[in-house]
Amino acid sequence: MSAASFTARRGLATRAVLYAILALFAVVYLMPLYVMLTTSFKTLEEIHQGNMLALPGEWTLDPWREAWGSACIGLECNGVHGYFFNSIKIVVPAVLISGLLGAFNGYVLTKWKFRGHKIVFGLMLFSCFIPFQIILLPMARVLGILHLANSTGGLVLVHIVYGIGFTTLFFRNFYASFPDELVRAAQLDGAGFFTIFFRILLPASVPIIVVTIIWQFTNVWNDFLFGVSFASGDSAPITVALNNLVNSSTGVKAYNVNMAAAMVAAVPTLIVYILAGKYFLRGLMSGSVKG
Amino acid sequence: MSFLHINNVHKRFGETHVLKGIDIAIEQGDFLVLVGPSGCGKSTLLNMIAGLDSISEGELLLDGRRINDVHPSRRDIAMVFQSYALYPSMTVAGNIGFGLEMRKVPRKQRREAIDRVAKLLQIENLLDRKPGQLSGGQRQRVAMGRALVRDPQLFLFDEPLSNLDAKLRVDMRTEIKQLHQRLGTTIVYVTHDQIEAMTLASRIAVMRGGELQQLGTPQAVYDDPNNLFVAGFMGSPSMNLVKARIVEQDGLPVAQVATDASTLTLPVVRDRNALRDWCDRDVILGLRPEAITDPASANHREGNIHEAELPVALVEPTGADLYVVTTLGGTHVNARMRPGTPLRPGERTRFAFDVSRMVVFDPESERRIRDERVTETTPIGETA
Repeated sequence: MSAASFTARRGLATRAVLYAILALFAVVYLMPLYVMLTTSFKTLEEIHQGNMLALPGEWTLDPWREAWGSACIGLECNGVHGYFFNSIKIVVPAVLISGLLGAFNGYVLTKWKFRGHKIVFGLMLFSCFIPFQIILLPMARVLGILHLANSTGGLVLVHIVYGIGFTTLFFRNFYASFPDELVRAAQLDGAGFFTIFFRILLPASVPIIVVTIIWQFTNVWNDFLFGVSFASGDSAPITVALNNLVNSSTGVKAYNVNMAAAMVAAVPTLIVYILAGKYFLRGLMSGSVKG
Repeated sequence: MSFLHINNVHKRFGETHVLKGIDIAIEQGDFLVLVGPSGCGKSTLLNMIAGLDSISEGELLLDGRRINDVHPSRRDIAMVFQSYALYPSMTVAGNIGFGLEMRKVPRKQRREAIDRVAKLLQIENLLDRKPGQLSGGQRQRVAMGRALVRDPQLFLFDEPLSNLDAKLRVDMRTEIKQLHQRLGTTIVYVTHDQIEAMTLASRIAVMRGGELQQLGTPQAVYDDPNNLFVAGFMGSPSMNLVKARIVEQDGLPVAQVATDASTLTLPVVRDRNALRDWCDRDVILGLRPEAITDPASANHREGNIHEAELPVALVEPTGADLYVVTTLGGTHVNARMRPGTPLRPGERTRFAFDVSRMVVFDPESERRIRDERVTETTPIGETA
């Protein structure tokens, strides 16, 4: 046997082992999703038979309908759909406003530098490292003063404030590698502060906009702590509703309904990732490495 | 009153004094090239004219109007940037028309103006493309179109050709020159390339270390340099600078240069009066390579040719010319001879020196030793 083919065979063997391990991890990783999905399409009787990994013998959409429209959360039996739209009402303005503010901050911090811009950026960066739990009490007090307690509006504010640090970091790093000459050229052409931002920089920022949207959307949508602390009852986001649904102690545990509700809660983030995922890495890399 | 008047302009960044009192005045239709090594402050000066850098001290007058504190967009100035600075998300037409759009020019007029400029620059077929889809030369044209379309009083070019490959650079250089001749616009152009400066300019301003070394026509700067720096910077191959000694002979100053065997005596034709004071002192002679030739190529009509036999150290054919290197005053000296002159290193041959083109410098101050007179090559700050 020649040395070359020996190494080739050894390469092949290594590769096989590698793929086997990767496949194993993939299976382990995907197993919960598989169980969730199959369970959500099963009837309760089938679940009680105990074979968790089996495909549904009889496919049914009833658990999904119930989760969406008639499952009991607390005292109301209207399903999760109301809370789903609560989450939408929180996520959309929170993502857009924090993103826009972050973009503005990044623009000013790189293209209209002022004395002390580094300190300002440092402080904003610092806000990324503040744990959620620390700000619960002061934030509750602030929301009370602003009369925003127990409302989706209050949650929007919390998420905007918490998000600005991250969005500013993203946009600042992205705009740091954006050529200054373009801004100068636009100035000579007669464009002002906002025109330069909206006409020159923002249209060239698609990758970082995608990153910001994914990041903010996932964080805000999946947030539980702020939701459970600052909004209750009808204004709660879906994560809180899901928790209440699963923890409702009346009657039999409807695993299929719980799974369907969990899937409903997870779908929007999945969609965002699938639609925008290919930009995500590209955007994360840009700005960090000049290229 | 001159059209663009840069009056004793200073620039300081904190402690560093970047521009130390620049005085330049040009007329309408002039093509001023600011040339100098990197870090000489030429780009800073250009940015100050554009309004992108503030002026620490001094005055900037455009067509009689003081523009020190006028916003860049209101100076009636357009600029072509080194990186072209095309707006990446806009089409070529959008890029060219952006300045007009910002000035609220109606869409129809804008379209006409864009088409006119596109035709002038032969980029009509590119109008719908994005900058990312263009080659370097095309981007360059679009950047020029963006400046031209506004029909400003003054054009600024910041090393516009430095990102192009050698051949394209020469083509674009010709094109910029033609454009200037056709449109008769006033241009301030920054480059570190002295050939660009020579070919394009109607006025050259040579700068070094934040100071203006010389302002004049290309020929004047080339033939009549103010100091050693200008002499060495302008021209390629550069001027031969040779150590020599001025002595008096028959009542006239002559220059003596050490050769391999003896001493070469060159009569002084220019700046005789000033050089009388330099007798028995060391100087530096400046002779362009084309002022040292083979005797047959020399221009004998003026009677200023002085011949000498010298050893050949090196022969460098370029095709068009043959550069022959010999040693004078301890340094290598380039002579330009006819191509095909049969010469080999080690041989001796006759060199013809055109002494009417010889200039002399003070080795201490590095300044030119010249007769007292007011010429256009003197910076205006000194004559005013």
